[in-house]
Amino acid sequence: MPLDLVLRGIFSAVFVASVLRISTPLILPALGGLLTDLAGATNIALEGIMLVAAFSGVVVSAYTHQVGLGVLAGIMAGMLLSAILAYFHLYLNTDVFLAGIALNIMASGGTIFLLYTITGDKGASSGLASGMVPVIDIPLVREIPFLGTIISGQNIFTYAAFLLTAGVALFLYRMRMGYHLRAVGENPEAAASVGINVKHVQLAAFLMSGFLAALGGLDLSMAYLTLFQREMTAGRGFIALAAVYLGGRKPWGVLLAAILFGFADAFSNQLAPLKIPSQLVQIIPYAVTIIALVLYAAQQRARSSGQQRSMK
Amino acid sequence: MKWITGSPAVRETLRILLAVLAALLLGFIITCLVSKDPLNAYRAFLFGPLSRLNRIGDWLEESISLILLGLAVSIAFKAKQFSLGAEGQMAFGAMASGVVALFVPLPLFLRIPLALLAAALIGFLWGALPGYLKAYMNANEIVSTLMLNAIALRLYDYLLIFHIKPPGAGYNQSDSFPEEGILPSFMPPLPFWEETRRMLTNQMNLTVMLYIGVAAFLIAYYVMARTPFGYELRMVGENIKFAKYGGINTKRTIVLVFAVSGIFAGLAGAHLSLGVHQKLIANITVGLGFEGIVVAIMARNNPLFVPLAAFAYGYLRAGADIMERTSDVPREMILIVQAVIILLVTAEYVLPFIKQRIVKPEDSYLAEGDRHAA
Amino acid sequence: MTALVEMRNIVKVYPNGVVANDGTHFSVMRADIHALVGENGAGKSTLMKILYGMELPSSGEILLDGKKVRFHSAHDAIAAGIGMVHQNFMLVPSFSVAENIVLGQEPLRRGLVDQKRAEEISNELANQYGLKVDPKACVANLSVGMRQRVEILKTLYRGAQVLILDEPTAVLTPQETQDLFRAARTLIEQGKTIIFISHKLNEVKEIASYITVMRAGKTLGTFESASTTHKELARMMVGRDVLLETNRSSSERSAKVLEVKNLVCTSDSGKPILRNLSFNIYSGEILGIAGVEGNGQTELAEVLSGLRPAASGNALLHGKKILNQTPRRVREMGVAHIPEDRLKNGLALNVSVEENFIVDRYFHSPYRRGLGVQYKQVRALGKRLIDAYGIHTSSGAQMVSSLSGGNMQKVILAREFSAEPRLLIAAQPTRGVDVGSTEFIHARLIEQRSKGAAILLISADLSEVIKLADRILVLYEGENVGIFSDPARLTEETLGLYMLGIQKQTPEEMEAVL
Repeated sequence: MPLDLVLRGIFSAVFVASVLRISTPLILPALGGLLTDLAGATNIALEGIMLVAAFSGVVVSAYTHQVGLGVLAGIMAGMLLSAILAYFHLYLNTDVFLAGIALNIMASGGTIFLLYTITGDKGASSGLASGMVPVIDIPLVREIPFLGTIISGQNIFTYAAFLLTAGVALFLYRMRMGYHLRAVGENPEAAASVGINVKHVQLAAFLMSGFLAALGGLDLSMAYLTLFQREMTAGRGFIALAAVYLGGRKPWGVLLAAILFGFADAFSNQLAPLKIPSQLVQIIPYAVTIIALVLYAAQQRARSSGQQRSMK
Repeated sequence: MKWITGSPAVRETLRILLAVLAALLLGFIITCLVSKDPLNAYRAFLFGPLSRLNRIGDWLEESISLILLGLAVSIAFKAKQFSLGAEGQMAFGAMASGVVALFVPLPLFLRIPLALLAAALIGFLWGALPGYLKAYMNANEIVSTLMLNAIALRLYDYLLIFHIKPPGAGYNQSDSFPEEGILPSFMPPLPFWEETRRMLTNQMNLTVMLYIGVAAFLIAYYVMARTPFGYELRMVGENIKFAKYGGINTKRTIVLVFAVSGIFAGLAGAHLSLGVHQKLIANITVGLGFEGIVVAIMARNNPLFVPLAAFAYGYLRAGADIMERTSDVPREMILIVQAVIILLVTAEYVLPFIKQRIVKPEDSYLAEGDRHAA
Repeated sequence: MTALVEMRNIVKVYPNGVVANDGTHFSVMRADIHALVGENGAGKSTLMKILYGMELPSSGEILLDGKKVRFHSAHDAIAAGIGMVHQNFMLVPSFSVAENIVLGQEPLRRGLVDQKRAEEISNELANQYGLKVDPKACVANLSVGMRQRVEILKTLYRGAQVLILDEPTAVLTPQETQDLFRAARTLIEQGKTIIFISHKLNEVKEIASYITVMRAGKTLGTFESASTTHKELARMMVGRDVLLETNRSSSERSAKVLEVKNLVCTSDSGKPILRNLSFNIYSGEILGIAGVEGNGQTELAEVLSGLRPAASGNALLHGKKILNQTPRRVREMGVAHIPEDRLKNGLALNVSVEENFIVDRYFHSPYRRGLGVQYKQVRALGKRLIDAYGIHTSSGAQMVSSLSGGNMQKVILAREFSAEPRLLIAAQPTRGVDVGSTEFIHARLIEQRSKGAAILLISADLSEVIKLADRILVLYEGENVGIFSDPARLTEETLGLYMLGIQKQTPEEMEAVL
């Protein structure tokens, strides 16, 4: 019975584990997007950052035969792109959104360009023997029925995603720099009036955002898959932005929202026996995001304007 | 050199030209680094599109999409509405026009206009949706249009794969459109130019969309510059408080801006399906929506300059394709050039809603607050 | 006893030539509440900005406790113990009270922000200075009075010895004002010094021990609060060479154009801005609204032009309702509006002069025919108006941003007047405008009047109001406190008393002149 098959598929530990795995490259850039958003800017270049990180990781690990160096290269590439965006926006007064689009285009074109130049193949880096990050088997945990399969045996980026969510939460709500970041995003005048350097804080936010998105990109090319494919981010950078709003702009909410998107992705593939087209299922998280957006906007309006609104 | 630096318009144009030249120079440097024969490769890039008739045809055909998309984006941007929805509107436009082309049994001279109308209408509606959300609920249009793009693209795929693709087909694509559902060539068979026509149409796949594109541009320009709606659009973009104070219904204007922008994007989709591919294929939009943004930026959101920017950008694209085919440099080099152009052009791109010389400039970081309006 | 703060011979001239401070002297004793009063534009805000380091004086010196100091930024001033509570609060809404107080200098414990310590600090400060606040409360949920307390505590956390309060009671209810005064007295007991900027004489008399009066950039003197009367203060603040120039013919009352009855308007936070306002304006008359800025004039203009909703009451233009309508509808009914903030509302700067002229008429003939705007007509209109109003511009196609302030105002005037309105609302029409243009604008207003328009003239410039108005209504805290039908016989001092809320007409007196 098709429904049986589907249900058994969904309620399996393997499925849940795969949801976590699939959500990882959504959680990480979403955290990055959250940081810049809270600091008062939209990082629309998450997509490009992930691409350059994914690419750099593959290439460097293939040529140095060191996974660690590949990861490092990916992180640096991602942070560099983010730094360029920050520079153009904060110091050359470019609209952050337009500069972000430019960098996405550059990343997209640049990675394919270099891919071809290095490997002669425009599709994927299958020729390169690039590295794979370790999968962590936790000795006792993996024996636990059901949960064991989910928690143990994931690659380091998946663990990192959850740990970093906690890290970002700690940073934002318990660390001085996090306070300053939130203040800058909400009321830059107030922050400046107490001596906080708004530009410095925003620059830091962009760099951290680059770091997180880079990890997401590396997860795509050096974890489950160990190669770089053109456009392999497939819009995840934008889904990450949606997750920021859907998650109410708070770290744990963003985590859940990203997992929701990941779930929809994994789930849509399970529905084959029921003959429900995966595309229709994939639409759901996007539609939900729009609804969340409208609700959020309504809440903002109710809070700020009270009953009377002047058109001054 | 006061006369050069005097007029702001001249300065702007100069800056854009310099940006393009600098980017092309950078492109050349990159080409030298990766190619064994950089001079020939770059020569193919710079002059290729003009070298043969069919290449000219390709260039012009591609530029039509860019004109329509550039118009769509610049219309919205000029009103200060950052709609990114062209991609999704384009997909729906392609779908709608494709459906008419495939399934509506009408002769060509009725079927094509109906198909175009369908594309325009669906673009209008799919554009009005985020416009309404922005105008009446103050929902951030960047996120909403991105979401709607994702939804539209998936619905397109769904319809294509599950309802339009002929059963048993290998690829995800529709049947080729019948004769009656294809855009006729740009030179209709008329006695007096038969010889020229045969020579040109043999080589060039240009369709009547060329004229429609030109017409769209003229209409867009006329609407923006000479109609009440165009006036409202521009005032909303320049100073929305002034617009409200003067009596303009800014909410309605915003919805219409999004919707009208959608019309052009929808038509771009019709061009893809009825003209370029003559069938519905998977991933028909290939990110052209974002390239429309590039064109709009290059045209400084002024519809008057969109065709110029579109042809220029289209030329670079065509050149890159030729370069790839005839040398060892991949076409993606052009994307790098493009990105550099955007960055250089927009580097001092003063956001229109701050930094008037007379008004005390609000701090630039405060400007983000506006964007954040959701 | 040496003064704690002494400002000597401060001169501040702005690049555009405006002299904000012309040799002002100001000195404050330790542990005093010292008020600085004056009308808008008297120079008191500028003087305090200089003290707080936000501006540098063109000349003059500042002494703190006898030592010369020079502040290059607010941080220098803060470091020297000067704190300022601005009119716009600098708070982060989603942070708690404690978090806002320690913002920028958060206490740390093992690398993390010590929220407990922040709350302790809050409570310590609150208790010491009698400014009770809940340290955990989210600022977004606080009342305005509470938020102000947080601002004050912020300055205290940073070690302020001298607190400058800039028009603190402007946003407070009477109850909150009393709370503030109580807190101020506690602060003084604790050895702090307060400089209180205000134009509300009752309050100033109540709380301050010394009052320094400023007018037109000069200090007129420092007086003991207890031994100076309201009247004396008012005269000093407001008095100037009386311009009794009334070069207009007297007009008889004709048809009633605007009837306002019991108009009530409230702010976003529920605070009443206009209270039960009633008045009429007749055809061919200028009703001047006198009052210190911030007493509801801005909102009155907005309510009558459709830019702000009214909570209750009625305003009838020739019998038709104009409250709570769209701006277009109100304009169609014959209302024109010269806005107070011409750059924000009245003009689109990057648009040509011609296109600025047509915002209220682009959609009907002769400027529109069918689907298109007839730019030939627009250009003709532009030419006509530019000539008629002597607007200094090379052509109608020039962008408004390149015009001078006076010419920009003329553009607005030209547009609004040419609409042949029945009711013209002119808010601060000559603010920031050069003398020549001012005279021109005055002449035009009189011209409109003689054409039969009813004009509501709102101005903070008393001489302008007295010169132009047929009747004057004084607005104080959103209320009509006096209407006068013969401005020629009014003295500025008398008006000043009403404007400062010291005197108020009885309902019977008002009836006669309504």
